[in-house]
Amino acid sequence: MQFAPADIQAILLSAKVGVVATLVALPLGFLAAWLLAFGRFRGKLLLELLFNLPLTLPPVVVGYLLLLLLGSQGLLGRALDTLGITIIFTWKAAVIASVVVGFPLLVRSIRLAMEGIDLQLVQAARSLGAGPLDIILTVILPLSRRGIMAGSSLFFARSLGEFGATIIIAGNMPGVTQTLPLAIYDYASSPRGEGTALLLCVVSVVLSLAVLMLHETILQHKKGG
Amino acid sequence: MELKLQLCKQQGRFQLALELAISGDRIGIFGPSGSGKSTLVSCLAGLNRPDSGRILLDGKPVFDSTARINLAPEKRRIALVFQQHGLFPHLNVRKNLLYGYQRCPVAERRIELAEVAEVLEITDLMGQMPETLSGGQSQRVALGRAILASPRLLLMDEPLSALDDDLRYRIIPYLKLVSERFRIPFVFISHSLLEMRLMAEQVAVLEKGTLTAVMTPEELARQRMGISPSGYINLLELGAPQERQRLLAFPWAGGELLLSGGATAEPGMFELSSKDIILCKRHPDAISARNLLPCTVRNLFETGNKIGVELDCKGGTLVAEIVPDAARELAVTVGSTIWAAIKASAFRRL
Amino acid sequence: MQIMNRIIGITVLAVFLAVPALAGEISLSVAASLRESVTELSDLFQKRTPGVSFKKNFGASGALAKQIESGAPVDLFFAANNEWVEYLIQKRLADEKSAGVFAYNQLVVAGKPGLKVASMQDLVKLNRIAIGSPKSVPAGEYAMTAFKKSGIDKQIEKKLVLAKDVRECLLYADRGEVDASFVYKTDALLLSKHAKILYVVPENLHDRVTYPMVLTVAGSKKPEAVAFIKFLASAEAKAVLTKHGFEVH
Repeated sequence: MQFAPADIQAILLSAKVGVVATLVALPLGFLAAWLLAFGRFRGKLLLELLFNLPLTLPPVVVGYLLLLLLGSQGLLGRALDTLGITIIFTWKAAVIASVVVGFPLLVRSIRLAMEGIDLQLVQAARSLGAGPLDIILTVILPLSRRGIMAGSSLFFARSLGEFGATIIIAGNMPGVTQTLPLAIYDYASSPRGEGTALLLCVVSVVLSLAVLMLHETILQHKKGG
Repeated sequence: MELKLQLCKQQGRFQLALELAISGDRIGIFGPSGSGKSTLVSCLAGLNRPDSGRILLDGKPVFDSTARINLAPEKRRIALVFQQHGLFPHLNVRKNLLYGYQRCPVAERRIELAEVAEVLEITDLMGQMPETLSGGQSQRVALGRAILASPRLLLMDEPLSALDDDLRYRIIPYLKLVSERFRIPFVFISHSLLEMRLMAEQVAVLEKGTLTAVMTPEELARQRMGISPSGYINLLELGAPQERQRLLAFPWAGGELLLSGGATAEPGMFELSSKDIILCKRHPDAISARNLLPCTVRNLFETGNKIGVELDCKGGTLVAEIVPDAARELAVTVGSTIWAAIKASAFRRL
Repeated sequence: MQIMNRIIGITVLAVFLAVPALAGEISLSVAASLRESVTELSDLFQKRTPGVSFKKNFGASGALAKQIESGAPVDLFFAANNEWVEYLIQKRLADEKSAGVFAYNQLVVAGKPGLKVASMQDLVKLNRIAIGSPKSVPAGEYAMTAFKKSGIDKQIEKKLVLAKDVRECLLYADRGEVDASFVYKTDALLLSKHAKILYVVPENLHDRVTYPMVLTVAGSKKPEAVAFIKFLASAEAKAVLTKHGFEVH
């Protein structure tokens, strides 16, 4: 029982999609958390609901909605088509699926950290001459660092396991969009594939454990430090 | 510094409606909690927006609701010192100190790090993180940070309230020194009359959201003597003591005062309540109080339902309080001589 | 020891017999592309035979075989290639004697109207092509064989979108998410206006698309199931199949 080249590709693709998705989601997640933690504006509740929605929706529903938006018949899809850009059934779609599904986890973690920042520190910084952007970079960002790291690792772990939305907008394309969960699904549907399916499951579990351990270490460090 | 403001602000059930014009470099704002001090501070600093009104510093508006002016806090050059030190936990002392300095335009920087550190005696703390500092050290660093931003005004909101008593009165000299040395006017907010007397030249008194008076701290203290449970606190500067028969004799004004042997044998500032001074028409033959001082009555004033008696004792001033009946019995008048009896245990070091 | 085994054996048997199975219920596991035809035939049989009802499960042949192997209570299995029936026979889960051919089909390429596909080579010019996952969908296996035999398998590798069964392939083509997909001619007849049959895959490039049907060991003990499989070999049944576009010889 060993790995076929397609299997190694699946593992590497999962890692690649995970890393890219995390990098894409971080600035967006930071902005969203900042708006929710410090913003005071009408419609904040609506925004909060929107950001949290993917957490409670079944991933396939998220996938289907994304397909309606980005598919060749979709609102954005058609516009992108004229520019020659296709998103669906490419690894970029897998990234988008991960970003949308994992977003609430990231925002939640960062927001929690931001809300723990003493408001007086922000007030002091302002009285000392720091403008809003300055404060974000020199006060809020450093003090929410642990929340950002914890959120990122959780997000990455979720991305590694993303299936429902991915299979709908990115499809199951070996070597192109077939991430680890999709590969396992493929093998698991076949009576002859059980051995490899199990092997890939082990790989998946090991990866998840590693990331979760990292997440816990970050949180523990926060308490101890 | 000239501070002129009129503002209205509604916050929930509380309404602040003030009109104030005050000049000086050491302005105090005095009032109990709930009087509107915090709201006033946040409006001054630009952290909160009054519903209407104007705020002018040296004639220049930082806020004007009709002219639609509202300078952002970072543009007002008003540095804050809070009750909780507010030091950035992720930066060491040096970086904290330089935070405002770095954001001050080079041309406007009047004050440098080395000098401030020396005056506040924090040079040795530079590399430390805020969590390792004691309460007093943190406040000194917070003060230094505010000064180094070369502000046009230092706004101190109950900066000593979180400190222990003995620490509190040791920080005050730093506050005054820093303000004099670097020529930065300050507005000092507190609910402590004693702190006001030690810090401010002029005090604006707030009560339930309105301004009730503007006066010197001394006048305020005397006015409150009758209603305050601790009376009027006489602040006495005493010299180096000598031991005398299990008591300590501290030089004061033209003479000396005897304090109980338990006091530390060092010069300093001492408190004596007006309630602890007993007045006698004639020199009592035998009395347990160890201090018997011949005094001349310099002034009499009514306060609450008491009479305040200002005494001149060989050059030193003491204020005692007696009930009106006693004043009549003893026929106390301005210019008359009277004896002041004080127990050696009545004094407390500040 | 022997007595213990016997007692256990009898208990298990009793439990299984006690499991309520509706009198006269026939359980079918059917390859996805046979959905409409088998449904029609089972409805027909049901009307004629009082007390008989059907439980139907549709999907990819490989996935269905796996379910049966895992213990799913199925009486008849219809696959889209011989592999999966032989697999079950090997595992002694299917009754070899009852195996027969149900129908034949043709593999076609369906996709966006206007695309020109005149040969297998033309497929290389397309962006995305959907096939059933070869691990469990016979249509996908037929397609892979065709790619290999026409020498384009390496070039086509990165364009393949795997679907879980033929019907999903159909959906991809219909929605325009892929340029073309490999489906059966009979599925193509169900297509809406969005996709058209572009090319019929030459039969020499793959094994003939054969639908074997077989009774499971459990099914062979049910008289209704035996009767149904006999019905499916009748001329009447073949007429229905032809109507749906299948080949019967």
